[in-house]
Amino acid sequence: MISGRILVVDDEKQIHRFLAPALTAAGYEPLRAERGDEALRQVASAAPDLVLLDLGLPDMDGQEVLRKLREFSSVPVIILSARDQEAGKIAALDSGADDYVEKPFALGELLARIRTALRRKGQAQLAMHELTLGGLRLDTTAAKAELNGMPLGLTKREHALLLLLLRNHGRVLTHRQILTALWGPAHTEDVAYLRVYIGQLRRKLGEELSAKLKTEPGVGYRLEE
Amino acid sequence: MAIHDDGRPDPDALLASAERSNRGHLKIFLGAAPGVGKTWEMLDAAQAKRQRGLDVVAGLIETHGRAGTLQKLEGLELLPRRAVPYRGQALEEFDLDAALARHPRLLLVDELAHTNAPGLRHAKRWQDVQEVLKAGIDVWSTVNVQHLESLNDQVARITGVRVAETIPDTVLDMADEIELIDLPPAELRARLQEGHIYRPDVATRALKDFFREGNLGALREMALRRAAQRIDRDVTQYMRLRAIPGPWPVAERVLALVGADASAGNVVRHAARLAEALRAPLTAFHVERTSDDARVQAALDLAVQLGGNVVTQNATDLVHAVLDYAGQHNITHIVMGRQPAKRWRFGRRLAEALTRQSAAFSLHFVPLPAAPAPRPGRKPSKPDWEPYLLASALLGAVTVIGVVANKYVPQEAMGLIFTGIIAAMASRSGRNAGLFTAFFAFLLWNFCFLPPVYTFSVSDPRDVVALLVFLLVGLLTGQLAGRVRQEAGAAAARVEALRRISLFGQRLSRAATLSDVLAGAAEEAASMANAGIVLLSGPAGLRAEATQPSGTMLDEAAAAAAEWCFAHGVETGFGTSTLPSVPWRFLPLASNAGGIGVLGAKPAAISPPLAQALSALAGQTALAVERARLSLHTARAEAQQDSQKLRNALLASLSHDLRTPLTSIRGAAETLAQAGNALDASTRADLLASITQDTARMTKFLANIMDMARIESGGLTVRRERVRLEEVVEAAIARVSGALYTRVNIAPDATHAQADPALLEQVIVNLLDNAVKYAPPDSHIRISATRAGNSIGLGVADAGVGIAPGELQAVFDSFFRASRGDRVAPGTGLGLAIAKAFTEAMGGTISAQSPRTDLPADGMPGTIITLELPAA
Repeated sequence: MISGRILVVDDEKQIHRFLAPALTAAGYEPLRAERGDEALRQVASAAPDLVLLDLGLPDMDGQEVLRKLREFSSVPVIILSARDQEAGKIAALDSGADDYVEKPFALGELLARIRTALRRKGQAQLAMHELTLGGLRLDTTAAKAELNGMPLGLTKREHALLLLLLRNHGRVLTHRQILTALWGPAHTEDVAYLRVYIGQLRRKLGEELSAKLKTEPGVGYRLEE
Repeated sequence: MAIHDDGRPDPDALLASAERSNRGHLKIFLGAAPGVGKTWEMLDAAQAKRQRGLDVVAGLIETHGRAGTLQKLEGLELLPRRAVPYRGQALEEFDLDAALARHPRLLLVDELAHTNAPGLRHAKRWQDVQEVLKAGIDVWSTVNVQHLESLNDQVARITGVRVAETIPDTVLDMADEIELIDLPPAELRARLQEGHIYRPDVATRALKDFFREGNLGALREMALRRAAQRIDRDVTQYMRLRAIPGPWPVAERVLALVGADASAGNVVRHAARLAEALRAPLTAFHVERTSDDARVQAALDLAVQLGGNVVTQNATDLVHAVLDYAGQHNITHIVMGRQPAKRWRFGRRLAEALTRQSAAFSLHFVPLPAAPAPRPGRKPSKPDWEPYLLASALLGAVTVIGVVANKYVPQEAMGLIFTGIIAAMASRSGRNAGLFTAFFAFLLWNFCFLPPVYTFSVSDPRDVVALLVFLLVGLLTGQLAGRVRQEAGAAAARVEALRRISLFGQRLSRAATLSDVLAGAAEEAASMANAGIVLLSGPAGLRAEATQPSGTMLDEAAAAAAEWCFAHGVETGFGTSTLPSVPWRFLPLASNAGGIGVLGAKPAAISPPLAQALSALAGQTALAVERARLSLHTARAEAQQDSQKLRNALLASLSHDLRTPLTSIRGAAETLAQAGNALDASTRADLLASITQDTARMTKFLANIMDMARIESGGLTVRRERVRLEEVVEAAIARVSGALYTRVNIAPDATHAQADPALLEQVIVNLLDNAVKYAPPDSHIRISATRAGNSIGLGVADAGVGIAPGELQAVFDSFFRASRGDRVAPGTGLGLAIAKAFTEAMGGTISAQSPRTDLPADGMPGTIITLELPAA
């Protein structure tokens, strides 16, 4: 049973060498590209369900690939990055990548991220009036939130923040993305604000839920499933 | 200053005191801040008066509910307050009419700055008080210094609180007596904390705002200053004793006029005291004269020591110069020596001119010292006989010619000729020579030419006039010429000094190193004085860094003077007041960051232009030293940055070259572990092979790092032996997996080279690696060996993309990797660097060429890297 086609974009042959059998064994159909232009052609022609994108490509900057890709496709993209590519990674997330894993990554982790991204893709288009996660129920239209039937007493901003995280749960949201969505583009550097709100939100969400609200150091936040 | 020159009382002051005599007496208790105890003090003093039977009435007292104040009110007659309705509430105000009706001997009115409620006769309480005074009633009142109009801005700036209730400064001046109620800030705060002044909740707030220690200190000083301005010398002294440092807006500027007379030092000292009391900047002003002597320089130095600055000008018109400077620099006080009637005409004129300008300045005259010190350093100059001899010779010659040519030269013409000689001598050699010539010209003229000839008798009164004319010509011409010479000399000296300084500046700007700068400075100092030395401070104290003439040494006393100069930042030694017996003059070299050393010169005599030139030299030297040090510092920082860059490159390379194989090894191992059963046998084998290959890749990387470390630490040992190239090349090809398609072409005369076989093999391996990395997969590599004279050329050529011309030089640098956009090629970037280091260690050279100029020969379009090794 094939549950999706995954395009692996990396110029290192060794990466393809183990990813291809690993993805196949997990039930996906791996596609292969070693260069940026090749990757774009494949996305256009083979319509993969997900793209694994390395940031260091020989012909094109990974971010440029992403930008061109987003011009015609909303396919989920997971960045394969390295610790010394921090800035590039965040920029890629800001410009529409869905997630990232750091090399050398654990295979299990990568497969989990792939599953999350593919599932999100299935739900993304639904407009819901109510979002739930565990005992949490969030009204998307009115500023109302309940945890196990008890009102949470969120402020307007906290509600908006939680709503954003819930809508994107499982996915990394960069500081910039959150700040732009909540405070507008003039406040993209005010990470300290965000920390305060996240702290308040965690206090109100209780132990169990706030453990799911993960900090991605230097990158942003992720609400896990 | 209201003291008149001749000691008469000031008529204005007389008038004012007459006006006062019918008026009540006003005493003001002046405080720095609320709560210092003005009211209490006033009541205390009033109680004493009352007990002595004086008719005292408390017109209005604000107790603010303070127990101590209330207690002091006991027994005093209190005037009832007048209730004034205002916006539905009744305000209690001072009842002026009741006070006038009661007409006590002494009236107490608290809070002079109070604003009355609308509807009363006067808007301000001080106007009430004025009326009371006019009625002949004595008044005691209190006021805080922040209520003074002129201080309002300052107070607002310091405390951040703008006081709305103010009194004009003239009210304070109106007071016949001011008593300053002083309480140190700490004590006042303590009183506030103990609740003596405000309710505890208000007190806490007040402590943080208005009653901050700094505020109180500033206000206190303001009160002290104000009192000091107004009251007597005792208070001035009191203030100076407790002077609290603090920045003040500069309103006053003091100018000390320094001339060559005995009062110069006193003038400076007096001006400095004045400046200190006013907290005003001090400038010592001097107009150069040839009569300048050591006293001028001493006075100017003194001014510098006392914290002033020195301005020296070259001007003919002293009065003009002073007025110009004072006007341009907003001078408010001018201090000068009082000149005795006969001496220094300029002084008299200056005093008169300045007095006429007294609207703009306060004038201070400092008396001459009682017993004028004998003018030091002014030895009676040796009479110079030369002009007198010349005059005698000229006069003699002219007389002889005149006598001989008696018939053709009328006596009047002789008179004109003599006048000419007098003028010439006077303008050449000065007044005295002119007078001498005039006198003898007259004698000769009279004796030889005026009838009766050959007698000294004067038969005609016109001849007396002629004598006078002769003398006058000699005198005036001499004086005029003297002045012109003086000025020309001074101007030339200044021009010379300026020229030297600018030349020196140019020279310093060219000096590349610190030692050049120091040598230049010492040389320059030596050319102005007899010898120069530059000492810089180091960890072990001052050290002579440059001397001129070289080998000049400082004796103990001179070294001590230099140390003093450095430690105190003032000029010491010859011509100064510190260690003047030392023949050296030392000037501090100071940069923004502090003292850096000392410049010394050993002049025969110090004149103001020389002192100035030396001081300019010291300034330039300090700047140049600082600049040289900075550039040295910059060079070091750059070197550090380079090594930092190298480290960063190594880290980036480590990160990349470890990460890729690690990812692959981990991925393959996890795939095998998690899905091993689902994979077919060939996939499993491939994953295992991939692990082995990546392990080998990491091993190679490690070996490279170790090689590099070995080179960098200098632990490389090289053997030199006869090596068969074919063997080494084969071994290398076997080690490089991508080099399957390598063609080897060794010329028959190039089979052996002088090298270390192990190192050479590594070099070839690295070159092959490099070729494989940048060439298309499965393309050919060509190794060729040819002989040129005594050396073997071993070339490794590939069909790759080639190297950009700009990067050709850098390929052998550590951590360099050819850039292709953002991509970083795999590998450490160490391979070629190692190849170069190894080759050079074996006595060979390595070079790269790309794209190849000999392209068609072997069909390799990429790069060729060539080793040159000695043949064997």
